[in-house]
Amino acid sequence: MTTNDQRLNALFAQYRDACPEVEGSPEFMPVLWRRIEKRGSVAYLLPRLARLACAASAVICLVLAALVSLPGLAAPRSTASAATYADALSADHSAEKTYYTESIRATDNLVPADYSR
Amino acid sequence: MLVEPELIERARQGDAGAFNQMVAAYRKRILGTISRLIGRPEDVEDVAQEVFVRLYYSLDQLRTPEVFEPWLYRLSVNACYDYLRRLRRRGEYRMADLSEQQVLMADSSASGKRSDEDAEKVRLREFVDALFRHVSEEDRLLLTLKEVEGLSLKELEKVYRVNENALKVRLFRARQRVLKAFQAAREDGKL
Repeated sequence: MTTNDQRLNALFAQYRDACPEVEGSPEFMPVLWRRIEKRGSVAYLLPRLARLACAASAVICLVLAALVSLPGLAAPRSTASAATYADALSADHSAEKTYYTESIRATDNLVPADYSR
Repeated sequence: MLVEPELIERARQGDAGAFNQMVAAYRKRILGTISRLIGRPEDVEDVAQEVFVRLYYSLDQLRTPEVFEPWLYRLSVNACYDYLRRLRRRGEYRMADLSEQQVLMADSSASGKRSDEDAEKVRLREFVDALFRHVSEEDRLLLTLKEVEGLSLKELEKVYRVNENALKVRLFRARQRVLKAFQAAREDGKL
C-alpha cells in the first residue's frame, strides 16, 4: 500500500469523525407509525394499484401494437382466404371421394356368394 | 448484531413492541449512514423513516434473522438511491454540491460564531465530498459503505447481491479515481 493510499484511508477515517451525529427528532417514532399505517391503508394502496394497472395496460397496448404493425410478426395470410368459398369447395373433393369409395367397398362385401359367380 | 435474533423473529410475527425495539436499536446507525450517503441533513430523517417503513412491510420476506443487518443496509441503500433519483428528477442538488462554507456562513449568522474545530470539520467534509464527485453516484455510495461505514466485502456482497470479485473491481476503479483526485489536490496544495 502506497503512502497516498494510507493518507486516503486516514482521510476517510477523519471524514467519518467529522460527519455530524444525527439523533433524530422525538417525533421520529410517532411519525414512523403514522407512515406505516398510511402505507397499509386502502387510500394509499388504491392509487398505486391504479397506476400499476395503467402502466400494465399501456405496456400490453404497446406490445400488441408492435405485433400488429411488424410485418414479420403478423399472422401469415392463408391462401384459402384469398379465394372465394365456392373455389374452396370445388378444390376440396377429398371428403366426397372418401365417402363414395368407402360405400362401394362396403357394397362389394354385401354381395352374396351366388351372385358373384 | 445490535438485537437478538429472537427479537427479529417476534417483529416478523407482527409484535409492534419488538419492532419498536429494533428501530430504537438501529435508528442512530441508520440515520448516520443515510446522512453520509445523501448529504442533505434536512432529509435524513425522512429517508430513515422510509427505510423502516419498508422494513416493516418486508420483514416477512427475511429468510433468517442472521441476514438482518445486510438486509437493512440494502433497504437503506435502495431508499437513498430512490431519494437521489427523485432529487435529480426535480433538478435539485445535494447539499454537498453547494459550498459548505456558504452553509457555514449562513449558520454562523443565525447562531453565532462557530468554533475553529467545527470549521475544520466542515472543510474536511467539503474536501472529501469534492473527491467523491470524481466517481458516479452509485460508486460513491459503494465507496462510502466500504471506506467510511467500514462494511467488509462479504457484507457488501450480501447488501448488493453481487459477486465479490465484481465488487472488488468496482471498488478498485472507484478508489483509484478518488486517489488520483486526492494526489492532484495534494500537489495543488489544497490539502
